[in-house]
Amino acid sequence: MKAYILKKILALPLILIGVSLLVFVAIRALPGDPARLMAGPEATQEAVDAMTARLGLDRSLPEQYASFAYGAVRGDLGTSIKSKLPVTAEIAERLPFTIGLAITAYLLAIGIGVPAGMIAAIYRHGWPDQAVMILAIAGASIANFWLALMAMNTFSVQLGWLPLLGVTSWKSFILPSITLAVLPTAVIARMTRSSMIEVMSQDYIRTAYAKGVLPRNIYWSHALRNALIPIITIVGLNFGSLMGGAVVTESVFNWPGIGRFLVDAVRYRDYPVIQGVTLVAVSGVVIMNFLAELLIAVLNPKIRFD
Amino acid sequence: MTMFLKSRRFMLASAVAAGLVFPIAASAATLTVMQTEAPRSMDPGDQTATYTAALLDPMYEGLVKRDTDLSLKPALATEWSADASGLVWTFKLRPDVKFHDGTAFDADAVVKNFARHLDTKRGLAASGRLRTFLDSVTAVDPMTVQFKLKTQYPAFLALLTTGPCLMVSPAADAAGTIGSKAVGTGAYKLQEYKSGEYVLQAKNTDWWGGAPKGEDQIKWTWTSEPSVMNMALQTGDADVINPFPSAFAAQVKANPEMKLSTTDGSAVFWVSLNTKLKPLDDVRVRQALNYATDKEGLVKAFMQGYATPANSPLAPVTPGYDKTLNPYPYNVEKAKQLLKDAGYPDGFAMSTIVQEQEARIGELLQAMWAKAGVKLEVRKMEGGVWSKAAFLDPAGKEKDNIGSSIASWSSGVNGADLQFRPLYYTKSASPAGANLGFFSDPKLDGMIDKAASTLDEKARNAIYVDAQKEVNEQAPHVLLYTKRDLFATRAGVSGVWMIPGGGIVVKDGKKK
Repeated sequence: MKAYILKKILALPLILIGVSLLVFVAIRALPGDPARLMAGPEATQEAVDAMTARLGLDRSLPEQYASFAYGAVRGDLGTSIKSKLPVTAEIAERLPFTIGLAITAYLLAIGIGVPAGMIAAIYRHGWPDQAVMILAIAGASIANFWLALMAMNTFSVQLGWLPLLGVTSWKSFILPSITLAVLPTAVIARMTRSSMIEVMSQDYIRTAYAKGVLPRNIYWSHALRNALIPIITIVGLNFGSLMGGAVVTESVFNWPGIGRFLVDAVRYRDYPVIQGVTLVAVSGVVIMNFLAELLIAVLNPKIRFD
Repeated sequence: MTMFLKSRRFMLASAVAAGLVFPIAASAATLTVMQTEAPRSMDPGDQTATYTAALLDPMYEGLVKRDTDLSLKPALATEWSADASGLVWTFKLRPDVKFHDGTAFDADAVVKNFARHLDTKRGLAASGRLRTFLDSVTAVDPMTVQFKLKTQYPAFLALLTTGPCLMVSPAADAAGTIGSKAVGTGAYKLQEYKSGEYVLQAKNTDWWGGAPKGEDQIKWTWTSEPSVMNMALQTGDADVINPFPSAFAAQVKANPEMKLSTTDGSAVFWVSLNTKLKPLDDVRVRQALNYATDKEGLVKAFMQGYATPANSPLAPVTPGYDKTLNPYPYNVEKAKQLLKDAGYPDGFAMSTIVQEQEARIGELLQAMWAKAGVKLEVRKMEGGVWSKAAFLDPAGKEKDNIGSSIASWSSGVNGADLQFRPLYYTKSASPAGANLGFFSDPKLDGMIDKAASTLDEKARNAIYVDAQKEVNEQAPHVLLYTKRDLFATRAGVSGVWMIPGGGIVVKDGKKK
């Protein structure tokens, strides 16, 4: 186990190097030139060249990557082409908002998805099952973007109950986190249902019934505990798509997180920001997957890691 | 049940944290303005974006300013004069003006402000245009500066009101902080810049012009989502929206709590035809496309009526614009005849590149031109990709078979030269300039040069009328429409006005 953890920790820098190289090359392969976009359509070629030199984009690619990597190792992700502010500080300022949103959304998704999936499994083929599954399919297929706009129009504009944009109080968390939670809730509910159904048909559950254990205790202690492993796997693996959802949700709600930061950066080909945000997001995904694996090991000591 | 307990505890914790961390930003004395994009710099000389310029306007001033009637008035200069050649300009500076950081405003500051644009190594975003005509700026005495121009430049005074000519504190520029921390001489100074959220400006109580007339604070926010802009105005999250999306204009008009303002704009929309590519090298084909375009239909379908069909390469607000021109009334039969004359009785196929937000224009043109037998392939592109493709050289465009580009240009009140020269002048052929179709007409080049060196306004405008006729005749563009400027406010807001082209001025804005 210790060796496994050590290996995972050692692998993280390798993953980050790989991802940073990939992002570095990919954004430069993308058509569109930050110097041209900064200098504007009226700029002469001379002005674009001067801007290119100023941004350091006239250097060779290996040279640019080396200076980016050298800075990144020391925690310096460079300076934003657009805002002229240091990228590390800019990300640090926004990261808490994204993490806060992600945690709230995940807690909502687990808090609703798991019980809903359990109910569906317990009343399998009954109306609660059908209701949960219909909602889950709807939740998994609805467009995040559209849902956000509808929710804003209903609760902020028409009813005036909740703030519309940005972060002004804790109430600001409600609409964005619910919007963001819809997809993972649906996924978790479906996973919980199928996992529970499988566990409920096991012999030890039948034995527990035979012993006269209360059904409530069977569901929560015997069944759920064993059904949790696939659920945790899904939660861990879905963190990446949650970050993807955060990009859309943050943009619509003017949320001051790294998702909206990334969208703005892509529009202006702000290379240092795209590189920095991607690195941070990838680190988050890797760490979440790692935590999920650890948690599974704790829940089921039978699982071995090599 | 533990799950629910846990989440409730978290909500409580985040509520407490939220109360501690987030300041309550909005108050009654704050005018909130929402635009479509975040500022690109806090340095007016390092950006060329309309909405950034509007945001910086309360904090910065130039030697000359544009007044509400769009005339030019003294600002940081009190008076000026030009010699007979029009090449040497002398400005008397306003005394007792200080930058927000306490630096004195004097001839030395002005010289430094222009020197940074004339320095090739700086690579500031807005330097390009100045460098084409400005030779040097020198101090005559501590309160007098002299500009030497390389060539006569009719738009010189107008340009002094724009980004690169607004005065930044030389101390802040030397410190390298001006890009993220604005320091000007204006009626408002920068209070806080949260690059992901807002820009907050506060009244400059030491302003040379006396007490600023606007609200205590101006707060700028932004979103790229039109429906969010509309909702922000309804809830009062924003007092001013610029530009207001025309799709929601009817809603605002019907609501007594809001006001919609529409004025003549300066952005002329067009399709630039690749004159190096067959069959678009034939003027008859280019004219045929103009006849085949139902401009009124386009204005109705795409702009909800908030645009004026284009009859000239100039916008109606541009000095020299001739409203009597009507070169290409919608006429499919005439288009067909011209194509037949040019040897294309069965029409031909071509392509156009267009940015996503204007893709509908391409689709509408596709349907219109099909009636004349022209098969238009519309290539939708994300902004950065489009910009790369649009500024290709002739060989690059031939390789990718780019027959035309849909775009707009906005020089507006700053003068016709800034519309003609970048778009139609031979030397401006892309990638050097925005002559995206490589149009070359020595006769027109001559008119553009002659107008630029004609100091008498009436004579100059007469040349520009001829130039408009020449462009219409040669048809390097399919001219579409001039957009009207739309902005919306809450009903109680007054004192907000618009410089044609989207430059909203809010520093005198008041809320009731």
